[in-house]
Amino acid sequence: MSEVQRKKYSEQEKNHVFDKEFMPHIDSMYNFAFRLTFDEDDAKDLVQDTYLKAYRFINSFEQGTNAKAWLFRILKNSFINDYRRKSKQPAKVDYQEVETYYNSDDVDYTSTTDLRVDAVKDMLGDEISNALNSLAVDFRTVIILADLEGFTYEEMAKILDIPIGTVRSRLHRARNLLKDQLRSYAKTMGYNTEDEEE
Amino acid sequence: MEENLPMGEKKLSCADVSKCFQLLESILDGENVPNSQAMLQEKLAKCEPCFKHFHLEQAIREVLKNKCTKHCVPNELIANIREKIQEIK
Repeated sequence: MSEVQRKKYSEQEKNHVFDKEFMPHIDSMYNFAFRLTFDEDDAKDLVQDTYLKAYRFINSFEQGTNAKAWLFRILKNSFINDYRRKSKQPAKVDYQEVETYYNSDDVDYTSTTDLRVDAVKDMLGDEISNALNSLAVDFRTVIILADLEGFTYEEMAKILDIPIGTVRSRLHRARNLLKDQLRSYAKTMGYNTEDEEE
Repeated sequence: MEENLPMGEKKLSCADVSKCFQLLESILDGENVPNSQAMLQEKLAKCEPCFKHFHLEQAIREVLKNKCTKHCVPNELIANIREKIQEIK
């Protein structure tokens, strides 16, 4: 992920890298962008900007390394630096604010959730999506990267420029917030969320 | 570390929830945890809170992965990107 230029690709090599290594990830990129912006036009702009930057800086991409993580990092940075700055809508919670507010590795694992497995399994796609979309952008992001896109903690640390310990704790908090949302859906579905064994 | 309990009986409280849950979550997230399968089997067999936490966390990962609404890439996006790239070449 170093920005150091390794070698210059020929025109033909550039096209090859772009078509074979970058373009196959466009579905994931668009879905990530859409979940960050909630707007089709903004998502299209963000993905287009990302691909143009990827092309412009193609020499800093080493062929055969993790193109998907490299592209996601560019998209995430574009979102923070360009899109959010232009957007009049303030972000719900700022990344820095979150890290300052919650000390990164000090996580409460005493999860005594009364959410039931069968209630979760019966949820509809829209309910899951809405619960995910209700989370602040930094929490939403780690869940998208981990669960929807299957990135490892190490890849996420590189994409988000944060330590692995912070990835782990942010992900844990994000899932707890998601469980709160799902629990309230479960209640409206009429599931008994009380622990029946007690 | 684990108490010896008769077959089929699980502890109703976990002695080290933080450590156990973090470990279970790392395993579910596909991280490289040494000896993970043996450790997992032991915990799930012997500890009720670990058993419940594992299955709920697993269910949440599954619905996120399989049910989250996907958005189709707009048709013109790929063409637009290729067009812009031609311009900057």
